[in-house]
Amino acid sequence: MSSPRPIRKRPRWLAGAINIIAVAGLLYLATFLPPDTSLDVMRGGGTLRVCVPQSAPPLVTGDARAPGYDIEVLQHLAGHLNVRLHLNYNPAIGQDFNPRNWRLTRAQCSIVAGGVIDSTATRGFLQLLPTGITSGWAAIVPDDTSPQPVKAVAVLPSQGLDRLALSGFLREKGIRAVPARSPENLAAALEAGTADMAIADRFTIGAVPVGEIDIRVVWLPEPPFTRLPLAFGLWKGDLTLMRALRDGMTELERDGTLRTIAERYGLDIEPEASDDMAVLLSLAPEVTP
Amino acid sequence: MSRFMHIGRGLYGIWLREVMRAVRDRGQLIGGVSRPLIWLLILGIGLNPYFRGEVYGEVRFVIPYTYLQFLFPAVIVLNIMYTSIQFAVSVIWDREFGFLRAILISPVPRWIILLGKILGGSTVATGHGALVLILARFADITLSWDQVALALLLMFGLSFGLTSFGVILAARVRSFEGFGVFSNTIILPLYFCSSSIFPLDPSLTRAQTVALYPEWLVFLVEINPITYAVDALRGVLINFHQFDPRLGPMVIGGMTVVFFLSALFDFRRR
Repeated sequence: MSSPRPIRKRPRWLAGAINIIAVAGLLYLATFLPPDTSLDVMRGGGTLRVCVPQSAPPLVTGDARAPGYDIEVLQHLAGHLNVRLHLNYNPAIGQDFNPRNWRLTRAQCSIVAGGVIDSTATRGFLQLLPTGITSGWAAIVPDDTSPQPVKAVAVLPSQGLDRLALSGFLREKGIRAVPARSPENLAAALEAGTADMAIADRFTIGAVPVGEIDIRVVWLPEPPFTRLPLAFGLWKGDLTLMRALRDGMTELERDGTLRTIAERYGLDIEPEASDDMAVLLSLAPEVTP
Repeated sequence: MSRFMHIGRGLYGIWLREVMRAVRDRGQLIGGVSRPLIWLLILGIGLNPYFRGEVYGEVRFVIPYTYLQFLFPAVIVLNIMYTSIQFAVSVIWDREFGFLRAILISPVPRWIILLGKILGGSTVATGHGALVLILARFADITLSWDQVALALLLMFGLSFGLTSFGVILAARVRSFEGFGVFSNTIILPLYFCSSSIFPLDPSLTRAQTVALYPEWLVFLVEINPITYAVDALRGVLINFHQFDPRLGPMVIGGMTVVFFLSALFDFRRR
């Protein structure tokens, strides 16, 4: 007579573990459901519509041979999604402080590009997809070994950056601001010696035609000034389109396309983060009441 | 065996019993899954078109996140609330079927019995909250391990406080049927009045807020402790606060201590 087969006891925790794995798996599968129709609608139309300003070099140039960093990236993204890129040039973008007056609607475009700043205020209105480019206040300073007190700076105001913070800072330091209307004005002020330093946004400062003077291009000190990442703006709630574009951006970054485009527009070289900038500005004479 | 070993084994045994019972109960687990699916997938997607942007510069929902992202931490809290407060059913069950009497005559101190039961309930409730984290991808929320760890800590604190609250309720309710109605009349009002599904815009002053919502509603939201638990989780998961960030952990800590001591007082009287 054979001995009875031993009873194989299942571990006590097995039933519970199976239940937990089952419910976790069910929830994970649910994450693959599309949360909206934005990608389907865009693919159905066969066109990725983008609202851009008339000109915001080097992001949007209006030149067909070198259309700008943002435009070239968007062309690649449209290719990734197998759709055509349609640019809707809107001269109102950036001309008015209040974006409501630009009258950009969902019917005109799925994306806003050409200098959208990644900030909490912008995120209140749009979902943002970072482009890898940073903007902010930058300055041209003479390349002196011994920094001299700055008494006057030429300033070219820029849309999107905090002009009030800049003017408040200069006033507090007792530095006189000389307003400029163009990059050429900035260069002329430096050459004529009416300004010790030129301040503009990071893109404009790179276009200042400085001739013989030895200079350095530096970021304004952080804090109080912040460097602002730029982004593409999508309408809030368009999650499926956002995911598809983010995947496309990841691919462009991985295969080096983003870096190549940035190099073409000189965006791979950023202003220096200079410690003596803070020293230069703190050397400014105190304001006497 | 030392006295501490005895107490530790008693605590572990009671905790393990609660956890094993919960993970083997398919009905309870289905509840833990269906709530996030209904609230996040159905309600979140259903209302998404009403909160999405149509004109740049004009939104009905001035927060730097999508509606799904805003709702996500609140759904975690909802799952924890249901599981924690419903845990009191286990206390009623143990009382009805004599298990509680059996362990109360054991040498394990009463407070350890209560702590074991509450820790068990809190572990299960935290687990149900953690299940919702799986849906983070759906809501387009990217989480780092630091964020997950901090969220789990807050979730455990909240679960502990609410499970203790469930035990306090169980001491006052004599039947399963009565508890079902009682728990729904507590959970849903607390949830809806916690700024879970509509935001009190932090950029507005109090005067502007009461111009947008009736003052009584703003008052209910502000005195509701769950409001601050939801806010603390929002801070960790989507980096958005409607209230002072210090209030969330303070309120959760306060709930944990006050409700556990009250539950202990009730438990000792029995």
